Amino acid sequence: MMKLKSSIPLLIAIAGLFCLPLVLQNPYYIHLAETILIYTILLFGLDIVVGYVGQVSLGHAALFGIGSYTAGILFFQLGWPIWITIPASIVVTAFFGGILALPALKVVGPYLAMVTLAFGTIAQILINEMTWLTEGPLGIKLTLPELMGAPMNVTEYFWLVAVFCILALIVIDRLVKSQMGRAFEALRDSPIACDCMGVSVYRFKVIAFVISAGFAGLAGCLYAYSEQYISPNTYNNELAVLFLLGIIMGGRKSRLGAAIGAAIIVLLPKLLDDINLFRIVASIIAVVVVIGAAMALSKKVTTPRRVVVPVAGVVGLAVFSFWLNSIADWRLSIFGFMILLVVYYLQNGIVGFAKSFYQSIAGKAKTVRGGDAEVVDDSISFISAVGNQNAGAELLKVDSVLMQFGGLKALNKVDLSIKRGTIHGLIGPNGSGKSTMMNVLTGIYVPTAGNVLYAGESVVGKTSSDIALSGIARTFQNVQLFGEMTAIQNILVGLHHTFKSNMVEIALHLPRYKREEAEAHARAMALLKFVGLDDLANEEARNLPYGKQRLLEIARALALDPELLLLDEPAAGLTAPDIQELLRIIRKIRDNGITFILIEHHMDVVMSVCDTVSVLDFGQKIAEGKPAEVQADEKVIHAYLGA
Amino acid sequence: MDMLAQILSSGIAVGMIYAVIAFGFQLTFATSGTLNFGQGEALMLGALVGLTCVDTFGMNYWAMIPIVCIFGMIQGSFVELIGVRPAIKIKSEFGWIMSTIALGIIFKNVAENIWGRDALPFPSPLPMEPMSFLGANILPMEILVVVGALVMMLLVEFFNRKTIYGKAVVATANDRDAAGLMGINTSMVITFSYALSSLTAAFAGVLIAPLTLTGATMGGALGLKAFAVAIIGGLSSGLGIIVGGLILGIVETATGFYISTGYKDVPGLILLLLVLAYKPSGLFGKSAIKKV
Amino acid sequence: MLSIKNLEAGYGKVKVLHGINIDVPKGQVITLIGSNGAGKTTTMRAITGMIKPTAGEVTLGGEKIDGYDSHKIARLGLAHSPEGRRVFTTMSVTDNLLLGAFPRFTGSRPKGDIKHDLDKALEMFPRLKERRNQLAGTLSGGEQQMLAMARAVMLNPEIILLDEPSMGLAPILVEEVFKIISNLKSQGVTMLLVEQFAAAALNVADYGYVLENGKIATHGPASKLKDDPAVKAAYLGGAGGH
Repeated sequence: MMKLKSSIPLLIAIAGLFCLPLVLQNPYYIHLAETILIYTILLFGLDIVVGYVGQVSLGHAALFGIGSYTAGILFFQLGWPIWITIPASIVVTAFFGGILALPALKVVGPYLAMVTLAFGTIAQILINEMTWLTEGPLGIKLTLPELMGAPMNVTEYFWLVAVFCILALIVIDRLVKSQMGRAFEALRDSPIACDCMGVSVYRFKVIAFVISAGFAGLAGCLYAYSEQYISPNTYNNELAVLFLLGIIMGGRKSRLGAAIGAAIIVLLPKLLDDINLFRIVASIIAVVVVIGAAMALSKKVTTPRRVVVPVAGVVGLAVFSFWLNSIADWRLSIFGFMILLVVYYLQNGIVGFAKSFYQSIAGKAKTVRGGDAEVVDDSISFISAVGNQNAGAELLKVDSVLMQFGGLKALNKVDLSIKRGTIHGLIGPNGSGKSTMMNVLTGIYVPTAGNVLYAGESVVGKTSSDIALSGIARTFQNVQLFGEMTAIQNILVGLHHTFKSNMVEIALHLPRYKREEAEAHARAMALLKFVGLDDLANEEARNLPYGKQRLLEIARALALDPELLLLDEPAAGLTAPDIQELLRIIRKIRDNGITFILIEHHMDVVMSVCDTVSVLDFGQKIAEGKPAEVQADEKVIHAYLGA
Repeated sequence: MDMLAQILSSGIAVGMIYAVIAFGFQLTFATSGTLNFGQGEALMLGALVGLTCVDTFGMNYWAMIPIVCIFGMIQGSFVELIGVRPAIKIKSEFGWIMSTIALGIIFKNVAENIWGRDALPFPSPLPMEPMSFLGANILPMEILVVVGALVMMLLVEFFNRKTIYGKAVVATANDRDAAGLMGINTSMVITFSYALSSLTAAFAGVLIAPLTLTGATMGGALGLKAFAVAIIGGLSSGLGIIVGGLILGIVETATGFYISTGYKDVPGLILLLLVLAYKPSGLFGKSAIKKV
Repeated sequence: MLSIKNLEAGYGKVKVLHGINIDVPKGQVITLIGSNGAGKTTTMRAITGMIKPTAGEVTLGGEKIDGYDSHKIARLGLAHSPEGRRVFTTMSVTDNLLLGAFPRFTGSRPKGDIKHDLDKALEMFPRLKERRNQLAGTLSGGEQQMLAMARAVMLNPEIILLDEPSMGLAPILVEEVFKIISNLKSQGVTMLLVEQFAAAALNVADYGYVLENGKIATHGPASKLKDDPAVKAAYLGGAGGH
């Protein structure tokens, strides 16, 4: 019932969309609206890479071009109809998206941007040069597709594009709200934690690019028929930057943002062609911004310093427009200024800005506190109890592990034997090798020599993701939560391994997916309740108090159904009451049969909860035994206090 | 054999230009971990300003060089102040990537409006008759390019090694926090490295301008190739950049000759992708150890 | 010389220091000891401008320096040998030492005779003299520690802050390092020494402060603290009632 109410505005919008060509009548305007819809489809896809995975892609103009040219080539060389060229464009472009992802696997940030830039340049060159296939600079002419024997008219094609746009909207919306969308965001927030939660960074990077490219391919195909002529120089770096401007300015991670962004980048050049219209629009924007700034200043929501640049920028732009006779030549500079303005002052795009502006003016509470937290079902066993059989048997064996970085031996032939069902402490002064050991056990470092056997099998050389999925989960010394995601979303990423449904099941909301999503949510809420965070379920992880962040990390690690839990300084920075809570939680987990390795400096924690303690110093084990024995050991006292 | 010598000599000249631009990338990346995605436009502006000095103001080529260098320094400082410093402050990588791209676009557009969209010839200070050497035709200007590039890089190296201010720059690149503890104003060092980076790009611009046509579009392709060289050579190795530049220049010239000029740019870009796929720190760079 | 009042500092949401007071009189060696995670390095970083304190005051020679950038504080005469040494690994030993005197080259501090001081520093640290043209990155941990200390001395500072000089060093090197600290003490250099190795630190210091969980648990003349059971408890627990 609630779903129906919130979809009414959407249904009205869709109805309006279909009526549009009947209202507009003029083919020029219909074509303009059509282009906006096509760009919107592309921006939906680009948003996955830019908004969700958080990277800069300068290659989407090229992917767009590959989509157009697939359609164009199949049409021109083989005469295939549109109902084949559309899927063909999607598949071919998705394939190239995968190729683009390969050199991008190991890199992020500027390097990844360069990969996409190089890819885009190569693609454009190839399209231009391979004239035997693409007709090169001559371009390819297309005609509108046929519907029941006769070519479509402008209105009918518009409806076709609108249908695909709506389908694209539904698919992308469902995808980003599913476990795939969460995996993409996890990639952005902490690739290391991502791998250690069993979500392979490499795999999902490729998936993100492939899906993103698929959307670009669809858009490209529809564009080819819409323009009825394609040529290589359309799909250049300028267009790629324009797409980026669109998604950032409209608003990342927002379907409405993609639509607004598309409208801006389609309409803006047209606007710039008509100087009078531009002057009017620039003046209106200047007035609106000045009034808005005045309102915000009067309500003390912002400072004069923060508004001076945007206000000066838009007023200056309006003045500039009156001074010039023709602004078309300055088109690119205007785009450049818009990018600068957006990057520093409108980081969440128009959609994001509108949301926060409305909230600050209307005085709404900035964060929603656990509004939709569902009822927690206490009967759910949220910790997969590891059977208490084999208690005391060896679960993990570290065999003479050597970890050398250049000349430094961070771990020097260390042996450890971790028994099932125990809490094994690992202590030692700064730089003794404790965190290095954690990283070796979870596959972040590959040991220079020696072996690590988990339940009898060697884990050396396995990826962090595989190790996580085989039963070893961890927390980090410097909290590695997925900061921009909510508490419950963090746990849901840990539960990623429980999802077997694929893209199609997600897009169509088939029963298996819906069931998995519901079960995961229930389990995540139970885990949150266990660590006392159920009322903060919908709070962004980075806004949580530090102590709660640490507990959330533990809950997320539990979601992996581990047999072995590695905690790296869990008590660091916690107040005394928080530490008591932590100990209670650790004991409860242990009671379910889960084994622990605990790195800690807080001696009280170590003494009160550990069964065995191993002491490292300079990468070597210098003592081992029960906590009290170790505490009194001469060598240990010396290592910590000196002579 | 003649063909090989020709390819080598042309390739070396082109390669050294790429190396000098890539050198600029290294300078800013070392001190601040950022790059100017509009570096090609810095080169283009240098060339156009130089052209104006020589054509409109009738200056001597050699006298024009210091003026272009000063212009480059101002342009670089501007980019740092507007595009990079705010992004470093809010710790946004996305920020400086997009803003240096945006500034590059603006500079290109401004250049188009001031100097027009046509490619203009640049008067050469040296005779344009090719000399014959080991079977190859070498233009005196090409030799100037190689010499000029090497001299520029050596001058910066000298500055870095012998002067206390240069050492301060190297220290900032090595460990920014520790450099601050020594009393070094690291913000100013970063601004300076951007100024120097645009200086080298502008200088490269007036070196290469007599060999090709000068225009608002000359920066784009050069900038991308220089990226490729910086990545292939490794952003932390000066020698790597020269080697990377030479490799790219020669491969490119060979491709242009044996396959077609249209495909000239492709091998370099593919090489870039391969390096990023397998050894992102570059052929000569050092891989970083992950710290968790 | 250096005075810290009610200092509070932390990283983002994590508050590490909850109001500490330390006084370093001119010509004395003061030590700040405590176990890991107690907040020693955070204290150093807050004093030298690497992080900004959230509350409280730091005064150097009468001037309030809390909130200043690191380079400004160094130019006022505070030299810092940081945790983990942080020598400039791609530069030679000599260059590292010259950089320690950077403010003297630029005129922010009285110039004096830099060359003479360089030779003096190399005499005081014979190991460094042997390796003066070697890259600092090729030196052993102990030698890097000497270099970091010598570099701090090159500033001709009013006060030297030594942050965990013994960290990661074998016992015999730790002895050498503390011999040098004694040497500097006998030359009248004011020092604030932060150490995990309580015993060695209390041997060389005049006065000590014990940091525990971001607060000063106890303080007093070094000779008295040496035998205080509270010190041992701060490291290895067992004193109960935390």
